Amino acid sequence: MSKLRSFLTAASVALLVAACGGASTHTSSMVASTARGTLSVNPPFRIASLNAAAFQSALAGSSTGAQLLQITGNPSCGVDFYYVKFWTVGGANETTQSSGALMVPTGAAPACSGPRPVVLYAHGTEINKTANIADITNPSNSEGALIAAMFAAQGYIVIAPNYAGYDISTLGYHPYLNATQQSSEMMDILAAARTALPKTQTSSTSDNGKLFITGYSQGGFVAMATQRAMDAANQPVTAAAPMSGPYAVEAFGDALFFGNVDLGSTVFAPLLTTSYQHEYGNIYTATTDIYSTSYAAGIDALLPSTTDISSIFSTGLLPATALFNIATPTVTVPNNPQLSVGLTMALKEPSNVADPRTPLFDLGFGTPYLINNDYRVSYALDAALNPDGALPSLSTGLPIAGVPLAAAPPIQTLRLAFYNNDLRNGHWAPLQPTLLCGGFNDPVVFFPVNTGTMQAFWSSLPTGLVSVLDLESKTTGIPTATDPFAPIEAGFQGSQAQLLAFYQSAAGGSLSLPAAENKLVQNYHGSVAPFCSLAARSFFNKF
Amino acid sequence: MTKLMYSAWFAPMIALLIASAAPTTATATATADEVASNSVRLGLYAVFYHAKADDLSGPYVPAGVNLKAKDVATLYAAYVRRLSPHFETELAVGWPPLTKTEGKGPATLGSVPYNGQVISTARWFAPTLLLNYKFFDESSALRPYIGVGVNYTSFYDRNSTAAGNAASGGPTRLSLTSSVGPAGTVGLSYQIAQHWGLYASYSISQVKTKLRADTAGVIRTSHISFGPQALVLSAGYSF
Repeated sequence: MSKLRSFLTAASVALLVAACGGASTHTSSMVASTARGTLSVNPPFRIASLNAAAFQSALAGSSTGAQLLQITGNPSCGVDFYYVKFWTVGGANETTQSSGALMVPTGAAPACSGPRPVVLYAHGTEINKTANIADITNPSNSEGALIAAMFAAQGYIVIAPNYAGYDISTLGYHPYLNATQQSSEMMDILAAARTALPKTQTSSTSDNGKLFITGYSQGGFVAMATQRAMDAANQPVTAAAPMSGPYAVEAFGDALFFGNVDLGSTVFAPLLTTSYQHEYGNIYTATTDIYSTSYAAGIDALLPSTTDISSIFSTGLLPATALFNIATPTVTVPNNPQLSVGLTMALKEPSNVADPRTPLFDLGFGTPYLINNDYRVSYALDAALNPDGALPSLSTGLPIAGVPLAAAPPIQTLRLAFYNNDLRNGHWAPLQPTLLCGGFNDPVVFFPVNTGTMQAFWSSLPTGLVSVLDLESKTTGIPTATDPFAPIEAGFQGSQAQLLAFYQSAAGGSLSLPAAENKLVQNYHGSVAPFCSLAARSFFNKF
Repeated sequence: MTKLMYSAWFAPMIALLIASAAPTTATATATADEVASNSVRLGLYAVFYHAKADDLSGPYVPAGVNLKAKDVATLYAAYVRRLSPHFETELAVGWPPLTKTEGKGPATLGSVPYNGQVISTARWFAPTLLLNYKFFDESSALRPYIGVGVNYTSFYDRNSTAAGNAASGGPTRLSLTSSVGPAGTVGLSYQIAQHWGLYASYSISQVKTKLRADTAGVIRTSHISFGPQALVLSAGYSF
């Protein structure tokens, strides 16, 4: 157990990093307007211009790049990487500058210039405050390389924000999983990049009006929130493919507080509480309301950071995995002994040996720990009294039909923030063909409680409007023979088997089978990204 | 285009020099008390740059990105004031030449051609004030001389070319600080008539500038020492 713990501890660090990575002489003018969606520099700066051959050889020069090429295929187009700076709003409607990428396909091939479709992409959780997804010259920008190779080098114009709170943004925090802010920012960079495109050095490539929205992990949530916001604003969307996202924030939060602790939770927690504190102002009066005294000081300004995550863990600013106190609380609900016992049991460290996820969940319990027992109890009590329909009820053990949100807005403020930002809120359903892709065994963003919940929530929609792709082929529900994504599922499963063998080989570190399996778990979330992106591209290619 | 412009006036200049040089049989007859105090000279200024620059520094610049200046020829004009039998002072200017800067370093930046591309142009206003010492007697037709002085260079009409903009990442605004530096010359004067002389000189001056390139708010800088060396062939009239 302790061995597993240390493996996963080290690995979660790697995972978090990987997950995120999952002839004019006129000068640019600084634009005075700070209105949303306005470029602050026009035309935008081009960081790099690579033709198809140069991009291919740059990718082939590293082992990760070579693996990526095997999934994306070789570039058909060159790519120009523009650094877009634009105005948007923060989580409390503050005016702020943000930045991002405009990747423009180039080259003589017919699919590389002229009118081309746009992919609006939202990236995964990023720890590094200085990250710039447009900077293809930075070897650690693996997610930028992925979307460039997958989409831009195959003829899609790619637009992707760095998010407020990162890079040049002086917001001072990141509006993490703030559905309103993040969708607004996506729409703002879309408007800004559309303004910029004709002014670039690649103006022979233009927007053909087709818009595809996608994103991974945090970005899967952002992509879906953006699709919803664009529908609400009557802005045209062609299709969407949110990937591995925490869409059902309330259900996911409930699962987590009841002990299903995911990998990366100690990073996600402060990002969430800081974001929602700025949005609602009622999450805490002092960080010690939520966090143990070991970590409370300064945690509201900790992430994103210019310090790398392993240093943040090693210097004791955050625990690597121990979200909750290993000494779990004994709950006393006045005049309700049954609930008191039920909650006390529900908050214990998971111990079901039959569940393969138990060792993972147990990593979330330790000392020193991040979140106080009192806070955990206040959340769980709210969840028990006003349950989320996606979670098995404490009494019947079954989800509520149709997996609705809590019947009434929660009282506990963090759970209320989850409720407000849960993408079931408002009963929106996609108007355009939508593909939800993920991997069933994802230890970071749980597939069943997020993708599964949305699938059940939308189960009465017309057939074919929303489809779900599980790379593990467990929940797709489509016979392999007629499953258009069967080769991608097989490719993912084959690559997992290859990775497992590699970790056990001399070149991969000669790990024991359990150790190799643990490493596979740690890297799982990042491994899903290129395969789901490939599925998204194949889905978009149909339109 | 610029080259054509040079050759257009280059031809008449040569003609002028030949014409001036034609009466070579005439003997200098000037005596000390008849020596004129002032002279004006006109000629050809061939500038050879020996630029040394720091690699360009700033965001998104790979290692080894450097630049060099292309040699130019331009019109030379000078006013010379005799101070004594052996000393004179010379204020020399060139018709501000359009100097081209070429990329030096990687063949491409990404896939954008760089090495050898003309990335920017600038005009130089570069007057030099020299104190010359002339050897031999004032009655000698042929007099070698050496001089030291100061050069001032100011750059204007600074433009990043299309190739420069492509390499830099977009429309680029250039600034180059003015330079004040020492200058030295060695020369030969030949008196062909009472009022006429022919002159050849080779000069070196120090021109150091700080380059600042602003591309959509992304700033790159370099320190450049142009080290221009100039060959001047001129004809002068004294009065």
